[in-house]
Order: sequence, then structure tokens, then C-alpha cells
Amino acid sequence: MTTLIIIAILPIVLLYIGLYKANKLLLPVTIAGLLVALASAVMQWNNGASAIFSGMMLFDNFSVAFSAIAIVSTLLILMLSKDYFERISDNVAEYIAIMLFSLAGIVVMVSYYNLAMLFVGIEIMSVSLYILAGIDKKNFASNEAALKYFLMGAFSTGFLLFGITLIYGATHSFGLEAIRNWAVQHPRGIDPLFHTGIILIIVGLCFKVGAAPFHFWTPDVYEGSPTLVTAFMSTVVKTAGFAAFLRLFSVSFAPVAEFWMPTLMVITIITLFVGNLTALYQHGFKRMLAFSSISHAGYLLFAIVALSATSGNAVFMYATAYSIASIVAFGVLILVQQQLGSDSFECFNGLHKRNPFLAATLTIAMLSLAGIPLTAGFIGKFFMFSGAMSRFHLWLVIIAVINAIVSIFYYFRVIIAMYFRNAEHEALTVPGYYQFVLGFSALVTLIIGIYPAIIHNLTYNI
Amino acid sequence: MSVFYFIAFLSILFSLLVIFAKNPVHSVLYLIITFFTFTIHYIILNAQFLAVVNFIVYMGAILVLFLFVLMMLNLNEDTEPTKSIYVKLAGIIGGGVLLVTLVGAIKLTAKSNPVVLQDVNLGSVQNLGKVLFNEFLLPFEVSSILLLSAMVGAVLLATKEGKPKATTV
Repeated sequence: MTTLIIIAILPIVLLYIGLYKANKLLLPVTIAGLLVALASAVMQWNNGASAIFSGMMLFDNFSVAFSAIAIVSTLLILMLSKDYFERISDNVAEYIAIMLFSLAGIVVMVSYYNLAMLFVGIEIMSVSLYILAGIDKKNFASNEAALKYFLMGAFSTGFLLFGITLIYGATHSFGLEAIRNWAVQHPRGIDPLFHTGIILIIVGLCFKVGAAPFHFWTPDVYEGSPTLVTAFMSTVVKTAGFAAFLRLFSVSFAPVAEFWMPTLMVITIITLFVGNLTALYQHGFKRMLAFSSISHAGYLLFAIVALSATSGNAVFMYATAYSIASIVAFGVLILVQQQLGSDSFECFNGLHKRNPFLAATLTIAMLSLAGIPLTAGFIGKFFMFSGAMSRFHLWLVIIAVINAIVSIFYYFRVIIAMYFRNAEHEALTVPGYYQFVLGFSALVTLIIGIYPAIIHNLTYNI
Repeated sequence: MSVFYFIAFLSILFSLLVIFAKNPVHSVLYLIITFFTFTIHYIILNAQFLAVVNFIVYMGAILVLFLFVLMMLNLNEDTEPTKSIYVKLAGIIGGGVLLVTLVGAIKLTAKSNPVVLQDVNLGSVQNLGKVLFNEFLLPFEVSSILLLSAMVGAVLLATKEGKPKATTV
């Protein structure tokens, strides 16, 4: 709860700082505030939490772990925002504030214990994101992204809300535990309201995490939004979406797993193929990352399809690896876009000669996203696949491995462009904040890849 | 009971008219009447607060806003884009499948004492307030973050920027 309060008050402080035009203070105050929030979240670890406010929220280890990764990712992304928002407009304080409001929604989403809180959390996050997608007011693509995201998001919220009401109609409760108890007490036969409700909630949540066939807003929104916002959407928001998804299905709907499992399995397979095969045909790096984020949603769905006690850990490992590698990719993309004015693969030609540091970190990120051993991405995929194998989803794993091989092709296109092609571009400069974020993220990717036990042992039972 | 069936008939009739009206402005006017019939439903169900909110917010505020936008855009029959037959077919199939699922689900539901309410004052404003400020206090308070964020965003999107500085990414 303290974490949520700190993250909710921090943006208000920032708005006042913006009011008095102390723009130099913005970033340090944000970073300090988020570090305090992170510390207060970590202090809750192993605290034997019980649900608070008549069962509305539960800050157990699961929510601590996911709050922590969300806060750390936001911190890294905000460090990249140095001199970024200034190029768009003067109202920098408001942009950072809205991003933090969205983070507050995310903290609610990873620690809810009642469907009412889930809905409020998702809405806080989404409304902030609709605004963030459209902050570049002069840019037509940004306007399009905001409108598209808003309409699609409102539509999917309708599905989610309808599902929640149907489940309330069946079980007479919004509480996750009450819903589970009801499902345990009514084991036989199909209850029409309850099961229709589950399907509608799946539709709503798949929209939010961008899983096929509800993915069609993703490429345009991710491409049109300012790159930093895209980085936020495809890392923190996706992680939070899956944490919320997993908590709902592992706590409430686990007793009726045989009902929704086939549906999610089909969604997973479609998501993997749509994401990977479409990413092959992209010419822009940003759009390629958008499709790759769809395919990663497919891998993350594995944990829910093969629901078990270790699902939380698997999602956590995968989301951490994916978030950190994506932040590196987007950070390099921002630099290339700012200094060369385009995001096509040609811009990455000969990056190795122009800036070896950038090329090296981006290579590590791409290897991690592709799931090559000795990077964090491999460990994430390993836990996902072994979880699926332990539930005997052999075909699912085979399909996923085929997809992972396909994905190597488009991730390596960037690496090949950087090392084996030449181009006469001038050298790129890397500001200090970027050096820190890129270096730190690449280092963490390697450390988790070489010695996964550091994180794995810590979060084994979340 | 007969009042319910009459109002339900009116709801369906007017919602069909919303879809079939050629003129968008007529369509919105029918929508207002549809929402009015919903308000009567809520009163029959003794959901006072919902009835008032539906009447003021939906009928009053949102639909008038709708009407203004429609009039400003000056939409009429000529500007309606024609959709290809495949899109229409896909829409019909998709909507039909959802309808069949929902109707099937509701048909299977056992009748749950349709008239007898367990608590007669269930929908009264007083009881709603008690639930809202006891059990659902936290969602109620956290919603303030949502409103604040939306407000900051609305102001941000609506303010006039100074001159653009550099090319954006």
C-alpha cells in the first residue's frame, strides 16, 4: 500500500515542480521517488501479507516481485527520457506525471484481489496510455495511434466489464477467493453465466496484452506512438498485463482449467505464428519490434496455459528478460532515430564501426530476444518450455521452438546490418544517461543468462 | 410483470430503430428514447441511484454531446461510406455467433426467483452509499487517480503549444 501511495503522490509533486518551472529537478526527483517506492515494495517481501481493505488488495510476494520489476523498468525508461520530451514540447512535467500515474495503475493491477480493483487498475493504466500515445500532437502517426488505441481499448474494456458482471451474476462476489470457492463447490456441468464470463474476460485481457487474434491495434499504436512511450507500453505494460492475467487465472479460475485451457492454447499458437511470420516482412526496426512483442506475448501465455505453482516464477523470469532486452533495443532505436532520422534497417548498417558500444549492447539485446543461450532470454524461454513440458504440452513446445527459430532470422538481420554492412554515416554520440541504462541492462541480461540462480532462487515460489 | 414486458418491447423496438434509421441524427434521438426505457427498467428493479445516473449522465449529458458532434460533422446519408459485402458478412457472422452464445447462456440459466428480491432496499441510495464507503472504499478512492490522470491528460492535449522546437521522433 505504501508503494501505491508513494507512486500516486509523486506525480502530483512533479506537477508542482513543473508549475514553478524547475525543470532541472524533474528527473532527479522522479528517480529518487521511484527508488523510495521500490524500497518500500521490497520491504514487503516475505511479510506474510493478508488481503487488506475488505479483501481488495493483497501485497504478497507475487505482487512485490512484479511491482519491483515494473518500477525498475520504468526507472530505466525514464532515464532515457532525458532530453527526449523536451523535443516534443515544454510540458515535460506532465508527461512524466502521466507515465507515473500509469505506473500507479500497474501497481494496482499486480496486487488486486478483487475484480473491482482489477478494473480500476486497468483503467488507470489504459487512460494514461491513451494520452501518452498522443502526446506528439503535431505528428499525424501519433494522433492516429492515440485514437486507435483509445477506441480499441474502450471496446475491449467493454468485453472485460461484461465478463466481470456475468461472473458476479454467477458467484455473487467480486473477490478472487470467493469466486474460486464457488467454482470448487460447483464442479460438475457448465454454468452458462460463469463460463461465458470467463471467455469474455479472456477476450478483454488478450486485447490488453496484445495477443492474436486481438492484436491488430498493436503494430499501428506501437509504431505511431513516440518511441519512448512504445518502450513503456511494450515492457512495463505488457508485464503488468500478464501478471494480472496470471493472478486472476491461477487464483480464481484454476478449478475450471480444463474449460478455458484449450481456448488459450489456440490463442497462444495463433499469437506465436502471427507475431513471428509478420515480423519477417517488416522493413522498419520499430515495426519489427512491435510484431516481436506480439510473439513474446505468445511465449508469455505459455505460463497460463500450463498453469502450475511455478507459473508466477516463469512469467517473472521471462518478463524480466524481455523487458530489459527491449529497453536496450528501444534505447538504441531512439538514438538512431534522433541522429539519422529514420528507423529502417539500413540505418543500422555499419553501426559497429560508428559506435562499438551501441552495437555490442544491441547485439546482446537481440540475442536475448531471440533466446540464444548465455542470455536472459534463453533462461526465460527455458522456464516457459519446461513448465509446458511438465504438463505434457509437447506439441505446443515443438511449435514454439519452430517459432523461436523463425524469430532468429529477423533478430539477426539487425546484427548482420551492424557488423557486416558498411555505410557512410557519421559517428553516433551516446549521452551519459543512455550509456548507463544500456550498459546496465546488457550486463543484467548477461548475468541472468550465465547465473540464473540469483533471481530464480529468490522468486521460486511467487 | 406486464409493465416489464411492455417496456422491454419498447426498448427492443427503439434500439432496432437506432440501427435502421438512415439519418444519424434520428438514430441518436432514438437512442435517447432507448436509454429512457432503460431508466424505467432500473426504477422497476428499485435501483434508484442507477436510474438517476442513467437519466442525468447518459440521456442528459452524453447523448446531447453525441448530438452536437453529429451536427458539427454534418453527417448525412450521402457521406455514409459503403462497406464491401465481405465486411458485412464477417460482421453478421461474428455478431451472430456472439448472440447465439449469449442467448444460449441466458436460456440455460435457472430462473432465480424473478420477482422476489431478497432485500427490498437493495438498490436504494442509502444502501449503495453504505457499501461504497465501507466495503468498496479502496476502489472508490483509487478511482481518484484515474480522474486526476484523465484531467491532466485532457488539459495537456488541449493546451496550445509554443512554436515547435525540433523535428520529433
